[in-house]
Amino acid sequence: MLLAYRLALASPRVTARGIEASEFAVDADRHGVHAVPAIVVDDRYAWAGSVPEAAFVERVLTAVSA
Amino acid sequence: MSALGERDAAAVRDVLAALQRDVEVTLELGPSATPVTLVVAGGRDIDTGAETHRVVEAVCAESDRVTLAVIEHDEPGPWPRTTIGPGLEYLGMPLGYELTSLVHGILEAGRVESSLSQSSLERLTGLERDLTIDVYVTPT
Repeated sequence: MLLAYRLALASPRVTARGIEASEFAVDADRHGVHAVPAIVVDDRYAWAGSVPEAAFVERVLTAVSA
Repeated sequence: MSALGERDAAAVRDVLAALQRDVEVTLELGPSATPVTLVVAGGRDIDTGAETHRVVEAVCAESDRVTLAVIEHDEPGPWPRTTIGPGLEYLGMPLGYELTSLVHGILEAGRVESSLSQSSLERLTGLERDLTIDVYVTPT
């Protein structure tokens, strides 16, 4: 989650939210979240699992351009 | 009594001692739009709003650079919602590992310069539209 926060602080174009999956189970189910951390970019499931910073940035940019 | 034990409070205080500027934290409480019942060991239901209030208040109290505003909503919504500084949000109770995320989120917001690498910052300058990153977590 900290990487998402760091991206949001670094770019005015990025908004970042952490969401507790069991409290917001309806939203988690809607996005197909089965494991955490799960990353959803622009309301679309992107991936699950922790990755290094460079990979996180590339995956976010790839998700946006998909 | 603080929601943090003595050892946790000291650890939070140590982290927040590195803040380079003031950080505002806003906690929004109210009826949940999608209510769920969370139960702790022993069978007690958790009041997520009250529990979040206790934890966030205790964390913010560990630094003079952190201020907390609490807003009570009458309408159902994505509460509890904690907003750190310029818009880092956390929906739900920041317990367990996510307490660490809350504390370090405050620390990140209190930095003068980004802690991202130069190459990541350069990649982000290429963004041509706004985007939202949601990170689903559990408090383990």
